Amino acid sequence: MTRTLANLATVSALALSVALGAGAAQAKDFLLGSELPLTGSLARVGQGMHEGISVAVEMANRNYAGRHSFKVQTIDDETSPAKGVAAVEKLAGDGVVAITGGYGSNIIGPASEAAQKAGLVYITSGGVSPELTQRGYPTFFRINNTDGYALAMIGMLQDMGAKKVSIVYLNKDATSSLAKQVNSALTAKGVTVGMHEFDGSTSDFKPLMNKVKLQDRPDVIAMVGYENDYVGILRAAKVLKPQVKAMVGVWSLATAQMAKEFPDLMENVYGTSMLPYPVEFTQPEAVEFAATYKTLFNKDPDYLGQFGYVQTRLLIDAVVRADEAGTLSKGGLADELRKTDANTLIGRVTFDRNGDNLNFTHRMGQHQGGKVVLVWPKDAANGTMNFPSVPW
Amino acid sequence: MFELTLQALFSGLLAGGYYATVAVGLALVFGTMRVINLAHGELVLLAAYVAYAAETNYGVNPAMAIPVALVIVGTASALVYALLSRIKQDREINSLILTFGLGIILTNAILSIWKADIHSTSDPWFQDSMVVADTLFAMNAEVASFAGGLVLMAGVWWWLNHSWQGRAVRALSSNRAAATLMGVNPRKIEILSFLIAALLATFAGFAIYTGKTVFPALGHVLTVKAFIITVLAGMGSIPGVLIGAVMIGVIESLTVTYLSASLQELAGMILFLVVLFVSPSGLFGGGRALAR
Repeated sequence: MTRTLANLATVSALALSVALGAGAAQAKDFLLGSELPLTGSLARVGQGMHEGISVAVEMANRNYAGRHSFKVQTIDDETSPAKGVAAVEKLAGDGVVAITGGYGSNIIGPASEAAQKAGLVYITSGGVSPELTQRGYPTFFRINNTDGYALAMIGMLQDMGAKKVSIVYLNKDATSSLAKQVNSALTAKGVTVGMHEFDGSTSDFKPLMNKVKLQDRPDVIAMVGYENDYVGILRAAKVLKPQVKAMVGVWSLATAQMAKEFPDLMENVYGTSMLPYPVEFTQPEAVEFAATYKTLFNKDPDYLGQFGYVQTRLLIDAVVRADEAGTLSKGGLADELRKTDANTLIGRVTFDRNGDNLNFTHRMGQHQGGKVVLVWPKDAANGTMNFPSVPW
Repeated sequence: MFELTLQALFSGLLAGGYYATVAVGLALVFGTMRVINLAHGELVLLAAYVAYAAETNYGVNPAMAIPVALVIVGTASALVYALLSRIKQDREINSLILTFGLGIILTNAILSIWKADIHSTSDPWFQDSMVVADTLFAMNAEVASFAGGLVLMAGVWWWLNHSWQGRAVRALSSNRAAATLMGVNPRKIEILSFLIAALLATFAGFAIYTGKTVFPALGHVLTVKAFIITVLAGMGSIPGVLIGAVMIGVIESLTVTYLSASLQELAGMILFLVVLFVSPSGLFGGGRALAR
């Protein structure tokens, strides 16, 4: 009897240790790489995206606790394409499983090419230029694109009934592509469009705005650039007071930060925005995202954080699936990502064979009394347009 | 067409005033020490951020922050001089390397302290528009900065030509050995130049904070512009800096108005190259002493 009990105890102990050992063997640490502009002219957006990526990793460690753990190694590309390439090569050498990040199509292009050569998946929300997916790299993925921004801007301009639009745009890849796409679409619909390209070094927009005011005489001025460009254009417009009905921009404009920093310039200005401000999250994942963001960074998330979070969350989920399928080390991550069909903070995300999320359609918000009110499309709006209206 | 041209010329004039205010400090140091301070743009930026900190944290009008900014920028400028004065060999190239590195340190210090967001004054007076003869438009900040910059430059020019220290600066610029023999203390005069440059940089920083937007990466852009104007003007010529800056401002503005805004920088560069081709010493160079 005693011997039988002892044998039973031994077998049980052996079985338990095998089970525990097997479980421990399945738990893995995954190192993600991130290449972002943390310094240089795009530092503001790079840091915002970095925060979102950090939140995604934090939440993944919580949700996969006991099964997997995740870390992210971030290298500053200093807003330089050459340094973006060097960052990716360094991350590849350090054994990361994939890369999340990047901002600016002119940086993401060469950086993702380096990732492709290293056989690493590169997922981003910072490169909307059509050329990026036209390359057909199987390792390149993005959750947003020019089309989504263009659809939003074109849709709202149509709803406004604008007959003449002046587009003032920065001469970089993504901004030029978007401006030309909007121009084509509006021209096809019979809208008269004036195109005005400017360089990133432009700080005084008054000569340009004066040309728009006196020669174009548009109903709406559309701005395609980055934060300091918008401020310069709006300041010049506020001085010259062109007879327009609306000032419309795209990314980085309809944000709480701009409302707080430049309240006199932002009133009634439109820009793309996935969420209103103050933001009210209702879905469980979104609530957790906002709470984690607040805990880590002591502030509410903005669109950059949302994008950084979504792209990294999708990547992490695909890493886990690929690992469980045993294909992670055999280049199976890209295939798993391509199988993605998820509802996220930015809506439904799927990837086509070129890694593009064709579901992406942005929304338009308007600064109204220090808040950002979603005004387009109607089914996502939480308020109505103040139209016609300008900041002066 | 006439309205467009007039506004372009007016905007160019005001832009030139900005450029001159940024460049004259660099020109002064260049003229005195034959040293190009590649951290000059970052000193301007530092002053702008001090104005921002004063306005944001204490609700103070940016103009009231100028004395504090002057102390901070003056200290930073003195530190730059202290490091530069330790260079004994190959001064020209080593000072370029040193000041370039200091510029990077300053930029990243600003980024660490104030983060990467863009900033500008929220004081409505600076952003209100001024209309001249119903035709010419400008922000109050631009006109005030232009006027203030002119006064400062006139003051510096007068000081260089009519004060003992100013004459000492010019003597040192002209012939260091002879000036030393005549009783000029080179170190004292050089540090004085740096402090005057800091004063000019402080005002330039205030002008940029109130009339434009500031962000950490701006310092390098300002340094390059200041350097181009300094070379265009001719070694150490203060009036040349103003004229060169206005020329660049006007040509850029006319290019934006009649060609394309994306050709603005190119037009400025072409002017720069043409002037150097015609007059390699710059507009007012040719081996003359500082400020004449």
